[in-house]
Amino acid sequence: MSERHTFSPFWHRVRALKPRLRPHVQITRQRFQGGRWHVAHDPSSNAFYRLSPVQHEFVGLLDGSRTVDEVWQLNLARYGDDALTQNDVIQVLSQLYGGNLLQADVTPETDQLLTRGRERFKKKALGQAIGLMYFRVPLFNPDRMLAATEPILRPVLNRYGLIMWLVLVFAALTALIPHWKALTGTFEAAIAPSNWIFIGISFVVLKLWHEFGHGVLTKRFGGQVPVFGAMMLVMLPSPFVDCTSAWSFRSKWQRVLVASGGMMFELFAAAIAAFVWIATRDNPGVVHQLAYNAMLTASVSTVIFNANPLMRFDGYFILSDIIGVPNLMQRSMNMLKFLFQKHVYRIDQPQPPTGDAREALILLVYGILALAYRVFIFITITLYVLGKFFGLGLVLAVWTGAMWFILPIGQLVHWLATHGQLTHKRGKAVFATLAMAAIGLLVLGAVRFPDHRRATGVVESQKSAQLYAGVPGFIDQVHVRPGQRVRAGQPVVTLQNLELQAQLKLSQGQLDEAIARELQAASRSPAEEIIAREFVTTMRKSRDVAQEKVDKLVVKAPFDGVVVLGSALDRVGALVPDSTPLCEVIDDRDLRVSASLSQTEADWLASMSPERYKVEMRRASRVHDVIEGAPTRIPVIARKDVPHDALLFQGGGTIASQQGADGRPEPTNRVFNAHFVAKADEGEAVRVVGLPGERVMLRFTLPSRPLLSQWLDRLEKALQGRAKV
Amino acid sequence: MSAYPITNYAALYESLRTRRLKPIAPKNLDTVAVRARVTLDRARLRSKDLFVRAHTIADRNKQTKSMSDAVLNQAVDDIREVFVRRRQQREHVDQALALIREVARRETGEEPFPVQLMGALAMYHGRVIEMLTGEGKTLTASIAAPLIAWHHRKVHVLTVNDYLAQRDAQSRECIYKRCGVRVGAIVQETQTDDRFQIYAREIVYGTPKQIVADWLRDQIRLGQAKTPWVARTMQQSLEAAGGVRFGEGRGILPMVPGLHACIVDEADAVLIDEGVVPLIIARARREDDMASVYAEACELAKKLDEGNDYEMDLVLRKATLKFRGQQRLRQLFAEHLARGGQPLFKATQRAEELIRQALVAKHCYIRGQQYEIVDGKVMIVDEYTGRFLADRNWEHGLHQSVEAKEGVEVTADRETLARLSFQRYFRSYPFLCGMTGTAADATGEIESTYSRPVMVIPTNRPCVRQELPTRVFRTARDKWAAIADDIATRNAKGQPVIVGSRSITSSEHVARMLTQRGIPHQVLNANFDKDEANLIAQAGHGGTSTRSASVTVATNMAGRGTDIKIDEAARAAGGLHVMLTEMHGAKRIDRQFIGRAGRQGDPGSCQMFVSLEDELIRKFAKWAGRIARERSSGPEVSGAPGVLALFRWAQSRNEAHDRRNRSSVLRQDDWIDKHLPGMG
Repeated sequence: MSERHTFSPFWHRVRALKPRLRPHVQITRQRFQGGRWHVAHDPSSNAFYRLSPVQHEFVGLLDGSRTVDEVWQLNLARYGDDALTQNDVIQVLSQLYGGNLLQADVTPETDQLLTRGRERFKKKALGQAIGLMYFRVPLFNPDRMLAATEPILRPVLNRYGLIMWLVLVFAALTALIPHWKALTGTFEAAIAPSNWIFIGISFVVLKLWHEFGHGVLTKRFGGQVPVFGAMMLVMLPSPFVDCTSAWSFRSKWQRVLVASGGMMFELFAAAIAAFVWIATRDNPGVVHQLAYNAMLTASVSTVIFNANPLMRFDGYFILSDIIGVPNLMQRSMNMLKFLFQKHVYRIDQPQPPTGDAREALILLVYGILALAYRVFIFITITLYVLGKFFGLGLVLAVWTGAMWFILPIGQLVHWLATHGQLTHKRGKAVFATLAMAAIGLLVLGAVRFPDHRRATGVVESQKSAQLYAGVPGFIDQVHVRPGQRVRAGQPVVTLQNLELQAQLKLSQGQLDEAIARELQAASRSPAEEIIAREFVTTMRKSRDVAQEKVDKLVVKAPFDGVVVLGSALDRVGALVPDSTPLCEVIDDRDLRVSASLSQTEADWLASMSPERYKVEMRRASRVHDVIEGAPTRIPVIARKDVPHDALLFQGGGTIASQQGADGRPEPTNRVFNAHFVAKADEGEAVRVVGLPGERVMLRFTLPSRPLLSQWLDRLEKALQGRAKV
Repeated sequence: MSAYPITNYAALYESLRTRRLKPIAPKNLDTVAVRARVTLDRARLRSKDLFVRAHTIADRNKQTKSMSDAVLNQAVDDIREVFVRRRQQREHVDQALALIREVARRETGEEPFPVQLMGALAMYHGRVIEMLTGEGKTLTASIAAPLIAWHHRKVHVLTVNDYLAQRDAQSRECIYKRCGVRVGAIVQETQTDDRFQIYAREIVYGTPKQIVADWLRDQIRLGQAKTPWVARTMQQSLEAAGGVRFGEGRGILPMVPGLHACIVDEADAVLIDEGVVPLIIARARREDDMASVYAEACELAKKLDEGNDYEMDLVLRKATLKFRGQQRLRQLFAEHLARGGQPLFKATQRAEELIRQALVAKHCYIRGQQYEIVDGKVMIVDEYTGRFLADRNWEHGLHQSVEAKEGVEVTADRETLARLSFQRYFRSYPFLCGMTGTAADATGEIESTYSRPVMVIPTNRPCVRQELPTRVFRTARDKWAAIADDIATRNAKGQPVIVGSRSITSSEHVARMLTQRGIPHQVLNANFDKDEANLIAQAGHGGTSTRSASVTVATNMAGRGTDIKIDEAARAAGGLHVMLTEMHGAKRIDRQFIGRAGRQGDPGSCQMFVSLEDELIRKFAKWAGRIARERSSGPEVSGAPGVLALFRWAQSRNEAHDRRNRSSVLRQDDWIDKHLPGMG
């Protein structure tokens, strides 16, 4: 039960005024949650104000000839208990006046106007500063451009267009299903660094297209698009348009359409790209790759960023409109604040942000989710950016941390110290706050949570042999497929070298001749026989050499193992010179994973007996199969090389790297190369952890630890090695 | 006064110029900046340097004393010329002060001491000075005023009451006249036409209430005229239509010609205590049939039980209805309407608001403390001065609720025409300085609200007042008995006693007890204020063989600005004894009252009597007070550990509460100014 005071000590300030709404202010009626609301919109300044029906009637009666007092009396007579109190009236008037929606019959005071302008600017600047992660730079006014293009698109911007769009997107999805494997298979390649430039280009183009979608739909429903600009979204520039004029659209579906317009346009592009990609499948080239990129960017980023209602992007506005809860984010934060004030601080009459039970529930749930998401995204982004661009990342992290966490804490302290309603409960309130902080710290600092670490490794074989062509020749036959199991001595590749074979035949002939001559000589004289025997020996040797060479044409496996993809295997008929590597045979019963660990992780693993933690390994090609692993070697000395270039950032991995002295990439910081094998007790078969050279994701499950120490550890990892620089 | 009308347009320009300066109270980090600036300011002018400077000025007296009257007049004129041409250097200021000092000596026979010169210098430099009670603040002000008037053209000197304003203006006129400045005093009785003329003078004495009200009325008259040009055109058209002449209080020409400089006497009282309630100019609303509504609300409120139906917050003066209370009210409203009550009780929320107000009137407003009934009217008693506030009503029906409770005629609700907080008004002065006996406790607030540094001026003569330890009692009854005993003892010794009480009721209670014991005494409170000057003059009489020593029972009326002279008999008996029967809401007020004893090196003593049932404890240390009461055994608990600290703590909580109230008044003002069109 809130106590409302009918009278205000400041009534005399407004009593005799005869204000009215500025003539160009448009009021539209909207329905929210079954309730009626009126939105006043000033197109010139793009200011909005939402009025309840009682407020709306009050404002409506202000026509410049009645005084505020007269109108208030009318309001009182009509609504009785529900009428606005004097304080409510002052509130409404001040907000409308502050938003320049109201003109009063007094000469505006220049300095008051200027002060207000300055404050607005300050507020905006402060908003920008707080949201450094979403820094906005307005560039130009795209309204005329959109006004010119919108009529061209108008024929399809209707319900038929919507149906067509649905059909197209559906068709694209169905068309993609048969190619699903190819689609996911090339994913790795698509996000490889070499492809980044293409991704960048398609990203920018598609985002422009996205914003164009918003703009066109806004124009389609009669709104204005006054600003086009660039937003530094975590330092990735992305365009934006100002569609706030859509807020005054009467139909909620129109507002939803404007908000989802960007995504619809993007998905349209993705559908087209899908068809292009399928069509160019047989002839892969730049177009194929570009189509793939476009498809990827337009669908994945749309789903991850724009459709997510927990950030203030498109999805948020769509959700807000569909469930009919305006100003969702702010009000849900107010809801949380309200609950705290009511139940923790026991403030007498806190202002609930809503009187409706369903809305209150929505606000509460959304508030908690949004808050949790905010913390999550902050930590993720910070750690990510710290890893990539250290200095900038640190500034960003510290700044955002200050704005999102320290500022609210400061505000809380200020509120606790000065709030009038707390006068007599300040002790209790401070105690409650400290108790909550203590509980929070206890949860973070004492309660154990599972601790997972991740690393990437490559599969290495402990015993492997490269098969070479011993003699030059044409590849005649390949007896195995890559990955095929072979026994020792089993032929793998047969080469053809007619010259060698002719040589062999020749040598054999010569040998035969020599033997015949020897027999002949034996019958003649002993001296001749000796000479002939010598000759036979020479000939035999020469034949043996030839035979040996011919034997080398059949390349055999040196030991039991698996044939690994080699350059020669798909080149039947090709000429291979002497000692060309053909393929590799590895002993697949003896494979290990070699992973590069950072200092902290290596320390952890080295200091713990292997029984206390668990290692899960997943092969990049078969991520669903989990292989349990055990360490065989945890080094104590860090090295400046990695087992495989694929682990480095330049090779598509996650370890920061730089150009080494010998021109090859090397890790920026020293790493610990640890070895893992599949756990012995799981039997022989599963010791196969993958194929050599294959990337393996490792996940260490360390003993549960309090979150706080986990976070500190991670921060330490991010900061590691920087102190020296 | 033939030249007068011409300057009146100047008044218009000046008034509008001041109006445009809207000082916004600093917020958040700005407060820190303001404090830093004040600290810097204070460091620039150290009291040590000023002390030395005051002594060098005092040393010039040989030179000035030897001047003939004509030479002195010429010298004053010359130095004034320098000030008028704004060419004054430090040397000129010192010279001017030496000359004014000589003028004061020749005209009144009192020669300002070096510490008074130091005080005048400090004020000239915009300080709020703290001079101990009885150190001659009036003389200090009278030598600072001409200096400031020369520099800033016009100066308002604000004192606590009309009597002091009138007296000082008259007694100091001779000094000012010789310094070439005109002086006048604005008191309650001053007629409008006279006011126009007095405000045109360089030095104007008055009480804040009078001057602020005049200023505020000017603002109402000026209304929406924002520029001198508009105002002037409006005035001209008025004159053309109705033949309004200047200076007659008609038209829109302002009475107060802008705000230039201000010397505030009793600065803590004026700048701080008055700040709680803004000045309001109101008029009765004509259409008002609410009288019976208030009476009925009062009747209905009586049917509710405290605790079960509602809870009272005595500090915030707020009643909260419980669920049960609300249910009962619904029922009561229904019954009441059935009996033909006012239709307003159909609107439940409005009616509940009225009931809550009636409850507040019942519990928080007590006759003899907050108000008194005079000739069938509710008169508000000012908490700080103990005087009636004429023409002042509580707002929004509270006054009517109190009237209904007392069963007197319910007056019409008044509607506010204009409202101005004192803080804001004083912040509008480009130059502000002040003096007080007790600035120390209010330093922080004076410095942050008005950004004026406070400077402590050393005493001329050491104070020999004897401060006896505070006596604490378990119950109020024990306290009153001990007070009566103590008065009797001192009276028998022949020592004059002044008994300070916080409310009219308690002053009358003491008076009754004294009558029972046959001790002759005088009462000074808002009800008995006819003979004030005479009573004060006699309050310092000691006991002789022919008559007993005087016993004066007074409310805060005697607490500030009164100068009680003691006679020889009293001096022999140990001087005036100040007895405080309760701890006040702020330490400053206690100190002011205590300052009545031991003035200017006279002997004197003081003592405070408090009980664990006092209002301060009841309001601000309810539980601690109860525990202390239960744990103590005898009637007197003075020695108990922590008991005095408990009182100080309660007092500091009250001070903090008041401070918050004041700052919220200021903040609301700023908010309204920023967010609403037009001005107040």
